Amino acid sequence: MDARKVSVVVPLFNEEQSVRPLVEGIRRALDRESWEILLVDDGSTDGTVAAAEQLSRSDDRIRVLRLARNYGQTAAMKAGFDHARGSIVVSMDGDLQNDPRDIPLLIEKLGEGFDLVAGYRENRQDKTVTRKVPSWIANALIRWISGVNIRDTGCSLKAYRAPILRRMVLYSDMHRFIPAMAAATGGARIAEIRVRHHPRRHGSSKYGLSRTWRVLLDLITLAMIRSFRDRPLRMFGLAAVMVMEVCLAFTLATVVSVSTFQAPKLVFPASAIVMFGLSTYLLMLGLVGEVLVRQYQSPGVRPTHIAREIVG
Amino acid sequence: MKRTGDLDRSYLGSRAGVAPSTVEEPTSDIEISIIVILEGNAERAREIYREYAPSLRDLGRGFEFLFMTGPSSADFAAMVESLDARRGSFRVLELGHSLGHADLLKLALEHCRGEIIVTLPASLRVAPDAIPQLVECLDQGSEMAAARRWPRHDGWVNRAQSRFCNRVLNLLTGSDFHDITCRVNAVRRRVLSEIPLYGSYFRFLPIVAERQGFGVREVTVGQHRQYGGARVYSPGVYLGWLIDILGIFFLLRFTYRPLRFFGLVGAAFGAVGGAILTVLLIQRLGGQGIADRPLLLLGVLLVTLGVQSVALGLIGEIVVHFQASRNSTYRLAPTDRSAPSPGS
Repeated sequence: MDARKVSVVVPLFNEEQSVRPLVEGIRRALDRESWEILLVDDGSTDGTVAAAEQLSRSDDRIRVLRLARNYGQTAAMKAGFDHARGSIVVSMDGDLQNDPRDIPLLIEKLGEGFDLVAGYRENRQDKTVTRKVPSWIANALIRWISGVNIRDTGCSLKAYRAPILRRMVLYSDMHRFIPAMAAATGGARIAEIRVRHHPRRHGSSKYGLSRTWRVLLDLITLAMIRSFRDRPLRMFGLAAVMVMEVCLAFTLATVVSVSTFQAPKLVFPASAIVMFGLSTYLLMLGLVGEVLVRQYQSPGVRPTHIAREIVG
Repeated sequence: MKRTGDLDRSYLGSRAGVAPSTVEEPTSDIEISIIVILEGNAERAREIYREYAPSLRDLGRGFEFLFMTGPSSADFAAMVESLDARRGSFRVLELGHSLGHADLLKLALEHCRGEIIVTLPASLRVAPDAIPQLVECLDQGSEMAAARRWPRHDGWVNRAQSRFCNRVLNLLTGSDFHDITCRVNAVRRRVLSEIPLYGSYFRFLPIVAERQGFGVREVTVGQHRQYGGARVYSPGVYLGWLIDILGIFFLLRFTYRPLRFFGLVGAAFGAVGGAILTVLLIQRLGGQGIADRPLLLLGVLLVTLGVQSVALGLIGEIVVHFQASRNSTYRLAPTDRSAPSPGS
């Protein structure tokens, strides 16, 4: 790893026309630094790869990674992070909506002692209803669930210290929650600065509204990972206790119904039994979870959190 | 019981008095290995070799048939003799105890020598010249070639069930193959070493390989003239298919995001159950008795199912989370040049 190198990771999916201006922009912005660009092709079907490889031939600081198929943005970013050689890594979108001129500002902020600096977009240049509103709600939810106070988690323009990337777990579609993940699984110190945002010039947007329910379910995962990932029994135990209380309520109703009516109502004891079953099930599942975590947390596995010595 | 070293009867090829003139190539020249897993009738081996070997001989490349069989009383030595097989081109691997299909396939991979692997079910499905066609497709740069029987001349029962099966598969997995059930595939060895081979995955090799990012092409081949008659299987077989399809659907779509599946199922149950309970609550507040309503029990049960489903999904997410921190979730395309090494 190069001590002062900056690696810029750009996932590309069908961005044939954007690649060249993007690389030029980054080149200009990082004029004075030691840098490399990782263009990660996420299974593009247009001329993206050819354009990227052409650039790479003319400058060996430009590297091209090709995923075997279209895996999605998270895997593309992860591939870039895994192969980055710099001590500082910057991620950004390949569609020219981020401005490379902001990269030095991010790096500067990183120098103030942060592990991750996220950009936030003011005056977003997107369609109002379908892009802005869901994003606004999602950000509020993510802030609340992750406990990380980030205004705009959907902005890809971010700078990281390399160690945090190695400690952060990134999979599925978790790129939306990178700051939250970095905080939850890496203990990162996070800052944010305002960045520029341009309207899309080439190609079309790859998002739609259909992802809402996915984001919601991923948020549940995030909440669970954040609070309970190494102690699932706590989570399932709490749920089991709550269900057991419902069970007790039904039992009480049974007693009341038997003592009040001549013909006892069958529905109450039946519900009580069902709730008892559910409570037991949750508790058992929590135990299974403990066993699983134990499998992955054997001695010798390095800690995932990052810590800075501040005195001493 | 599994006899390791699994009595390899390929030596029979040389011992059974094959004339020296037919011994043309040393075994190291084997390029194409055809793996056939014999189920039941071992006599099929003779039939298969007789049908498919000539076109491979015409191809002029070293080949071997590797027949996998459980305990069998078949006289393979006599078979080799009657077939006048070239030395080493008719091999039989006999196991003391029958294993699952996927295990047999893995075992066969360890024993066969070719760089190109052809999987061939133990029935005459494709025309005799199908294998060279598949191999040619690999020569043109594909990493896997999946056979599609077309045009088909067997009965409508076969075609209907085959079409139904493939439609469902394509719908659920988002792939685009016409004849996955054919299961005649040619594939480069390294591809098989990189895709998970267990359980029922072997049924869907092209789909799985494609999802791992390998270049898979469908090749139209003729159907074997003897493959005919309506093939109606026992209900258990169809049930097995359905379960396998559900399995592959889940594994391809949700391996790295179990909560998306279990959460959605759970939310559906929970929503219906919750709606029922809400209606009952309103009725109760309106003064109606609900204690003798079976609907209450249904509502409680549905909510329970929902909670159970979500809870299972969360356990799955814990597994995935820790798994993802050690294993890569993506595969890079094979690069011809400037392949950067990870973490350098």
